[in-house]
Amino acid sequence: MNVKEIPSYIVDLGRKYGATDIAAKLIESQKVMIRFSNNEVTISKIFHEATIEIFVMVEKHRAATSINTLSIKNIERNVKTLIRVAKMTTPADVYAPLPKGPFSYDPRLLKAPEVPLDPETLSSYVERAINSALESGAKRAAGTLSAFKSEISIATSGEVYASQEKAGLELSIRAFISDVATGHFLSIAGKPEDFNPEEAGRVAGEIARAADNPVPGEPGKYMTLLGPMVFADIVNQVGILSSAFLVDAGQSFLVDKIGEKISSEKFTLVDDPTLAGSIGARAFDDEGVPTRRNIIVENGVLKTYLHNSITAKKFGKETTGNAGIIVPTPWNLIVEPGGKSFEELSAQIDDGIYVTNDWYLRYQNYRTGDFSTLPRDGIFRIRRGEIVSSFRELRISDNMLRILQNIVDLGRSRVWIKWWEVEIPSLVPHALISEVNFTKPLI
Amino acid sequence: MEDLAEFIVESAVGMGAEYAEARLHTDLRESIIFKNNVLEAFTFEESRGVGIRVLVDGSLGFASTNRLRKDDIKKALKQAFKAAKSTSKLVKHKISMGKGELGNEKVIVKPRVSFTSVDPEARTSLIKETDEEIISSASTFDVKVPARIMTLDTWITEKLVKTSDGASIYSVTPRIAFFALITLFHPQGGLLQRYINLGETGGWEACERWNLPRILHEETSALARVLIEAKKSPAGEMDVILGPEIVGIVSHESCGHPCEADRILGREAAQAGETFLKSDSIGLRVGSKYVNVADDPTIKGSFGFYLYDDEGVKARRRILIKEGVINEFLHNRETASIFGVMSNGASRAVAYNREPIIRMSNTFFLPGDYSKDELFEDVKEGIYVKSFMEWNIDDRRFNQRYVGLEAYKIENGEIKNPVRAPVLEMTTIGLWSAVDAASKDLEFQAAYCGKGDPMQGIPVWTGGPHIRLRKVRVGGMRE
Repeated sequence: MNVKEIPSYIVDLGRKYGATDIAAKLIESQKVMIRFSNNEVTISKIFHEATIEIFVMVEKHRAATSINTLSIKNIERNVKTLIRVAKMTTPADVYAPLPKGPFSYDPRLLKAPEVPLDPETLSSYVERAINSALESGAKRAAGTLSAFKSEISIATSGEVYASQEKAGLELSIRAFISDVATGHFLSIAGKPEDFNPEEAGRVAGEIARAADNPVPGEPGKYMTLLGPMVFADIVNQVGILSSAFLVDAGQSFLVDKIGEKISSEKFTLVDDPTLAGSIGARAFDDEGVPTRRNIIVENGVLKTYLHNSITAKKFGKETTGNAGIIVPTPWNLIVEPGGKSFEELSAQIDDGIYVTNDWYLRYQNYRTGDFSTLPRDGIFRIRRGEIVSSFRELRISDNMLRILQNIVDLGRSRVWIKWWEVEIPSLVPHALISEVNFTKPLI
Repeated sequence: MEDLAEFIVESAVGMGAEYAEARLHTDLRESIIFKNNVLEAFTFEESRGVGIRVLVDGSLGFASTNRLRKDDIKKALKQAFKAAKSTSKLVKHKISMGKGELGNEKVIVKPRVSFTSVDPEARTSLIKETDEEIISSASTFDVKVPARIMTLDTWITEKLVKTSDGASIYSVTPRIAFFALITLFHPQGGLLQRYINLGETGGWEACERWNLPRILHEETSALARVLIEAKKSPAGEMDVILGPEIVGIVSHESCGHPCEADRILGREAAQAGETFLKSDSIGLRVGSKYVNVADDPTIKGSFGFYLYDDEGVKARRRILIKEGVINEFLHNRETASIFGVMSNGASRAVAYNREPIIRMSNTFFLPGDYSKDELFEDVKEGIYVKSFMEWNIDDRRFNQRYVGLEAYKIENGEIKNPVRAPVLEMTTIGLWSAVDAASKDLEFQAAYCGKGDPMQGIPVWTGGPHIRLRKVRVGGMRE
């Protein structure tokens, strides 16, 4: 049997053995990753994988599996086990049949551009990025370059049979002037012509150079300019925690907030997997439903949670095309741009801070949105619109909803962000936020 | 399995590799996801494949595949070579594998109660009972628990690691883990959330010993009391007693991570970051003489248990801080070679498709001489922080914050009323230097430590006794 036929074979097996509903997804992927630090490569890695994910319902009884031994014998054994196990489990509170197809999909989303996967070409990208950072003044650079292509084939008992390709190039580079003067930037692209390793290296190097000789910052509330890497972290929180599953689990500050103004009206957040050629583009979700452009927050008002068919049934809504068979997920987060240039945003700061990156965001309470995160890389003091010095040792200790409400303005140019701290690809601008609370160590 | 690993290593050497390592690695996992009294799904997962690492011309290449036919393996091996060779011109300091006590062993952890003897229905019924205990415990305080999510995972990891210089380790390790996030609500007290993580190496007997309904009942009672009785946390300079849960996370974040030799060398600089320690920091004083922190993978039943690492090196206890002084770093064979020491067996990979990197195992503050009561007796005014929710630390492992969840005021040696969200925001050296006593008790918590790219979340324990900090500044909750 051709490997591509496995999902429909599984659906047939599932029907034969008594599943009310069944979905099977085959993911075949190739990925090359080059890691580097101190201006040299530390390891090059090549991954080849094929995995099958299967979800079954026997009315309200649910079970799921993921297997990667693709022999017919193993598949058949697992489908039988899955249905037997599903029948043994206690029933869930709702039954929502898998959406009925067949569906038609946007053909632009089914094919992905060719990306280079040969280590020679990729190592030349690494070299260019490192050199660019060094030319911008960095003394050393570290990071990761990844290139991938994958194909997702899906079949469901709702008469869905489809497959789509995905591809991308991702570079994350951190430049160092000293141990405490660093800059970080990215190039994230769904197609090679959008990939720019030199630019990422240059920006990282320039931030590091500007961050040289940092002094301890003073705690307090500041008008703050968040760079795209920081704002993408905030935006990811809104996108991921708008999943109806997490809302139901209390793991979200968006509980009971539909229709409410959760942010400044300057903020509009869309999950848009229909942007062909972007890194988070998807034609269909894990239930085979065509993806769509969902406005999560419109001019500050929370419009929807993200749903699969089960959470939709539970919430009395329609699926938004964001299955995640158990947990709905955003695909491709887009913040509508503002109208200001970087200089115009900075000019609005009389006495404030510009943060270029952050990491280790942790909640004190997901429901209330109290959290803290550590600015890292360039943290700059801004006086009368100009960078006057570099800070270190500060921490943003605030509340998600308050930060969203305090958005003063957004930049007009945007960049794609995805890296170690930002899971969902996000197209975001700079964001100017008032009254951001900074703390620092007390001893 | 043995033949396949042998074939890979021999072929790699035949192709000219200076070092080769084959790891056939299978994880078989079963999980239940239970939310608000509903079983969302029962899942099981098979992850089976091979990870191959080769050192060619001083350059490291890694390839993984889940297709285990000989042709596929040959292809993966060629790719690992290609990866290493094509980037070797960007490797200025040639990598080499240092020495370690290599093993030729089988390490099989046998569960007393096998996972197969507990069917999905029995597992669900236990979690359902636990859920009911949470609700009933909270209701005695008129507190609601509007959201509860719990997962119970069991999995068995089977590995064969073979290296070209003679290590051969076959291991079978069963693990069990429980996670809960509960949200408590009271109209006057507001909202409170708590994570609970339990995990061990072994079989279902661990879960029986935990007694989940009892643990969650007690946790919920304590949190409900905090919700309705807690007063504003005192702020300012005072003595603080930290319970084992916080001592464990501090040991992990502010001692374990800084002592990872790959961080010291900058290998994780663009992801998890670096460390305030340098290659020559052995002997550096970072705390008072009462601070002793170990990392020990050999603790039987621990979540981070192993006897040989994924480079085939025998594991042992590492004393990272001894009497306040940096004593030892965590090494793999690559960093051991650079530092001119023997590897101390800290190299682990979380799945077949991940490279082995330096990881902590079970990192804990070593117990002291005091009884727990003696620690408290000598505190006139202070706070006792038993558990936490929010925490983080900068990427040089120097600036950290812990926000207390279950915390109490101490007056004249006695534990008084609960206090709300005391904030400890301190430097690593500031924190370790303030320690003036540790108790004799020792408790561990389970966690998944994140590191590497692609990310590897690996099972660890964190732990310690109660410790006392003198005259540290405590901040209160934000208004």
